[in-house]
Amino acid sequence: MINYKRFSLDNGLRVLVHEDKSTPLIAMNLLYDVGSRDEDPSMTGQAHLFEHLMFGGSVNIPDFDTPLQLVGGENNAFTNNDITNYYLTIPSENIETGFWLESDRMLELDFSQKNLDTQKSVVTEEFNQRYVNQPYGDAILKLRPLAYKVHPYRWPTIGMDMAHIKNTNLEQIKKFFFSHYAPNNAILALTGNIEYELAYKLAQKWFGPIEKRTVQSRNLPPEPEQNEERIMTIESDVPATALYKVWHIGARNSNDFYTLDLITDLLAGGESGRLYTKLVREKKLFSEINAYLTAEIDPGLIIINGKLMKGVDIHYANDSVNEVINSLLNKKGIEDEMEKVKNKFESSTVFSNTSILNKAANLSFFELLGNPGLINNEVDAYRKVSYSMVTEAIRKYFIPSNCSTINYISTRKEK
Amino acid sequence: MMNNLQRIQPPVFPVEKVIIPEAKSFRLNNGVPVYTIEAGTEDIMRLEFVFKAGQIKESLPLLGSTCNIMLSEGSQNYTSEELNRSLDFYGVFLNQSAEKDYAGIVLFFLSKHIEKVMELCREILFRPVFPEPELNSLMRKRLRWYMVNREKVQNLAMDNFFESLFGKNHPYGYQVHEQDFEMITPSLLADFHNKYYTPENMTIIISGKIHDKTTDHLNSYFGNMALKEIKKENSVNFIKGEKIKKVHINKSGTVQTAIRIGSTTINKRHSDYPGLKILDSILGGYFGSRLMKNIREEKGYTYGINSSLTSLDLTGYKVISTEVGQKYCQKTKDEIYKEIRLLQNVPVKKEEMAVVRNYMSGEMVRMFDGPFALAESFKSVWEFGLDNNYYYRLADKIKTIDPDEIIELAKTYYNIDELYEITVGSE
Repeated sequence: MINYKRFSLDNGLRVLVHEDKSTPLIAMNLLYDVGSRDEDPSMTGQAHLFEHLMFGGSVNIPDFDTPLQLVGGENNAFTNNDITNYYLTIPSENIETGFWLESDRMLELDFSQKNLDTQKSVVTEEFNQRYVNQPYGDAILKLRPLAYKVHPYRWPTIGMDMAHIKNTNLEQIKKFFFSHYAPNNAILALTGNIEYELAYKLAQKWFGPIEKRTVQSRNLPPEPEQNEERIMTIESDVPATALYKVWHIGARNSNDFYTLDLITDLLAGGESGRLYTKLVREKKLFSEINAYLTAEIDPGLIIINGKLMKGVDIHYANDSVNEVINSLLNKKGIEDEMEKVKNKFESSTVFSNTSILNKAANLSFFELLGNPGLINNEVDAYRKVSYSMVTEAIRKYFIPSNCSTINYISTRKEK
Repeated sequence: MMNNLQRIQPPVFPVEKVIIPEAKSFRLNNGVPVYTIEAGTEDIMRLEFVFKAGQIKESLPLLGSTCNIMLSEGSQNYTSEELNRSLDFYGVFLNQSAEKDYAGIVLFFLSKHIEKVMELCREILFRPVFPEPELNSLMRKRLRWYMVNREKVQNLAMDNFFESLFGKNHPYGYQVHEQDFEMITPSLLADFHNKYYTPENMTIIISGKIHDKTTDHLNSYFGNMALKEIKKENSVNFIKGEKIKKVHINKSGTVQTAIRIGSTTINKRHSDYPGLKILDSILGGYFGSRLMKNIREEKGYTYGINSSLTSLDLTGYKVISTEVGQKYCQKTKDEIYKEIRLLQNVPVKKEEMAVVRNYMSGEMVRMFDGPFALAESFKSVWEFGLDNNYYYRLADKIKTIDPDEIIELAKTYYNIDELYEITVGSE
């Protein structure tokens, strides 16, 4: 049981505190409710570029990292389609430095042209490192626009075109800051060796004086229902042919989220998952295969991807994946497997919650979902999934007209 | 509203002295050494079995790693599928690994499942049967993974870096080739297993909220096996680096070039090691390091650059790693050497010393935070026959090292003429 307290400041900042005296450290997680879904389609990649700029100094502090390192702290951040999340760990005696640093960059950034230019270059190298200079690196870039035609999930967080990054100017950056970075658009979580009273006092002191801002309202076009199967073929000089399949699912808060999560675990949770057992171990069609949910806040995707063994026909591999999914509709043996993945979910939740950083990130994210109690209730929600819920979800989502497939064909001649 | 708040840095408190819990040690009935570290708040455990069965012991490439992976691919009483299903059913996470010197398994589990875990561990470690169909299937898969990995400039660069440093004939150095995947047989695996996965070659490290019955279970599952005398191996395999220090490997169609610069160096057993660790941090060991500040934050040539220092049983090595836009390759190399020369010639200023001292002190707190980190930190000195005194010496050196000593270390250990330089990318 993870005990936490929450409060809000007058300026709208929400704060959650969980005390864990077994560690000498404190984790501080600051989540901003802005992600790549909030970008203008002609200027994608801004939320992530902005995350880079957040380390280039703020109105009263020329450099974020150095003072933090000076008190023994460490930090990082990530951006995804939904949120931008900043986190640090710090020896407890120096926690006030964390408040000073995070509140100053919420107050106002030091918008410098030099920093913007450098970080545009860093982000371009990041794009090259992750997506261009890797075999199959472009698959995920092509998968999103295949599955989404309207909703901003159709572009990746890094941006759909590096020209968007190149064209970003300082004025746009300032506008982005003041329309998204605000106490009333953020959630702060503190976990570890910190008492509630101290957290409250420091939050009031450092974040309290920052004024509420007008946050750009979110009015995203919903993705229309897909009504025919989409198939794309990519030919590329890669060592092996790969298969990518996605199906649309509901939002993170929808009732069947945990049912679908459980289905992906039945399919690919560890080496005893059905896809691995049937298609890697028994039929030897794939060298590796995986299934997971994007777990995004707006309606997301189930993704299954795998790399084929030499000489395997992609259509046969594709049919075999569908066959394994449909095999879940057969009741034989399924109860044991459901019990297995439920046990594994429970133990992985316990392990994840041994880390103060994970606890802080989870508390912030669940608060954003409107349900911080999920940190203690997720296992129950997952355990409640019944066999009939599984079959219902499979019949509802795993249908061809809801599916997009990329056949990523290796053009390399095999010896 | 308190608009008059002075937004200046709050007082900086020195990071308190690191307290490292001592591991308790005892032996099983047959003499197998066990180390335990009681820590954490949840009823979970980390259980590790370590063997001196890494690549250094293998007679041909892939033998050590394949033997390790095949441990869970079928035993006397379980098929591989049954083993994996059983581990998953009890919510156990199993990590298998074969490094350059050591190999073994680590399990993470809810303490209440300890007895089942012990039973499965005995199957995995001491009763594997290395079935041929599973082996063939594994080698075909591994070949596919290998081919994908060899497409990546960073992997090609690292493989070639090790080959240059340690030589084409040393297990630390040789590269794996496609034909190596056809050479491994069940009998080779069984021989390797018989020789190196033995109770006399085993050490057990346990941390977490340790179940009351742990010792009893360990004894009943592992304490009855007879220990044989460890045979001395006479063959000494000398490390001999390649003569050519600069290697470029052309990989057409790539937009980034991978750079690896480094050499063999001292390991943790050497008294200069803590100082070298600090020098390495200043150069490229953390986000505020000189390489990161210069090459990423100032120039934007790369998404990331770092240097690291690794201890091996027979030696150690240091390496600077980055992937940069192809057009920045030469400039990046020039800057790397420039930064090394600066460290050899110009004393590090007081302010920068304070940052690195405090950052590293914070790192030390993180290294001993929680049962998993504690076990890993313990293992990483135990492997070298060292104990927590190593960490106390490091903590002391972090507080006391002065800029002159940094210069001396940089001159002694970063001789630019001795550094290997591997690049992989388009011409």
